[in-house]
Amino acid sequence: MSVFAVDVKNLGFRYEDGHVALRDVSLAIGEGETVGLIGPNGAGKSTLLLHLNGILPEDGRGVAAVWIHGLAVIKPNLPDIRRDVGLLFQDPEDQLFCPTVFEDVAFGPRQFGSGEADVEDIVRQALAKVGLSGFERRSPHHLSSGEKQRVCLAGLLACRPRVLALDEPTRGLDPRGKRLLKTLLRTIGATKIIATHDLELVAELCTRAVVMDEGSIVADGPALSILADEDLMLRHGLEKPHILRHSHPH
Amino acid sequence: MRHDYWDRYSRLDSLVHRRPAGLKAAAALAVILITVIPPHPPALLLAAVAAVLLALITASRIPPIFFLKRLLFFEPLILTVAALALFQPGGFPKFLMLIVKSTLSLVTVILLANTTPFYELLRVLRRIHVPSVFVTLLALMYRYIFVLADEMQRMRRARRSRTFGRRRERTWVLLSRIVGQLFLRSTERAERIYAAMSARGWK
Repeated sequence: MSVFAVDVKNLGFRYEDGHVALRDVSLAIGEGETVGLIGPNGAGKSTLLLHLNGILPEDGRGVAAVWIHGLAVIKPNLPDIRRDVGLLFQDPEDQLFCPTVFEDVAFGPRQFGSGEADVEDIVRQALAKVGLSGFERRSPHHLSSGEKQRVCLAGLLACRPRVLALDEPTRGLDPRGKRLLKTLLRTIGATKIIATHDLELVAELCTRAVVMDEGSIVADGPALSILADEDLMLRHGLEKPHILRHSHPH
Repeated sequence: MRHDYWDRYSRLDSLVHRRPAGLKAAAALAVILITVIPPHPPALLLAAVAAVLLALITASRIPPIFFLKRLLFFEPLILTVAALALFQPGGFPKFLMLIVKSTLSLVTVILLANTTPFYELLRVLRRIHVPSVFVTLLALMYRYIFVLADEMQRMRRARRSRTFGRRRERTWVLLSRIVGQLFLRSTERAERIYAAMSARGWK
């Protein structure tokens, strides 16, 4: 049995239209690690994240290629897996599907069979954690992008996941929203995998960076040395972040 | 369009707002049934219903102008349907009766929607064992109808900003394209929403 929080072995995936999104991807992530998943558009980052809690492959067909804390991601395990892996989608508008903030954050715990009294407690705590106490009755449609993103995160935290898979968490956020989100992510103890184009986020938050291109992992190592490798970055449609260019001592 | 177009005042505080949602839903249903079912309701009954509604509107502190605006939005629809009655022999009284009945029912529904938050109505539906798929469908509709409206507005704006020929916009062609696009986009969105629901344990 594996001891890794996330263990992906030789995972391949082809969409129904024939497009090959993942080729022989293997990736092991230890408990408590924060990993930045970077690469150009269409590299397969989102597809990989969707495999972590069994949204793909649909209907859980195929043999297991992903293990979460040693538990294989196959159909009979999906309820446990989905509770353990919180998945943040790219567009908060898709993720916030309930009429009020409260209902949305309560969605996960209710699915997993918590009693109503507990649910209220969990929701209150989760909203406090993301700094949105008092937003319970608001309608998601009327929140700012940053607030929407944080409500999404509260909805995940309410399920108490040990692994967080975040797809472009800072997309569309203003600088203040980004800063709030980064501070927030630092306080969350879970194992985190962050797929993003925001390389400064990777530099600031991640201990390890994984570069993907055309469905394969092409580099994997300590975040700062990967980000500083200008050749590697340029070759895969990325660039060395400014924060590293200008951090020499004056 | 503002996302609270239908239930802007549902979170006010008044005597009417404070009543339990179940009671209000049942009362609204009763009022509508009393108004609609009798084929020839006495004028007195209709007047009484109207008086009760007026009293409730006053007590709810919702600006009457809001009711007028929402009524005007639907009245053309009611008029069109009611106008069909004019083609029958002796249709005029029927025409009037249809308008009065529909308008009273409409006011009742607007009043209910604006004195009771939508999610509380959903909770009532759940409590009386309305099938959960149906309730979920209503909740999703309430959540996304304005997301779609916004999306449509953005598409029209983008379209218009690139329309500069001398020929006037062929409105119907344009509209049909936008509706088609909107349909495609919403099915894709539906798939993403379903994935997000599954990710949090939906079965």
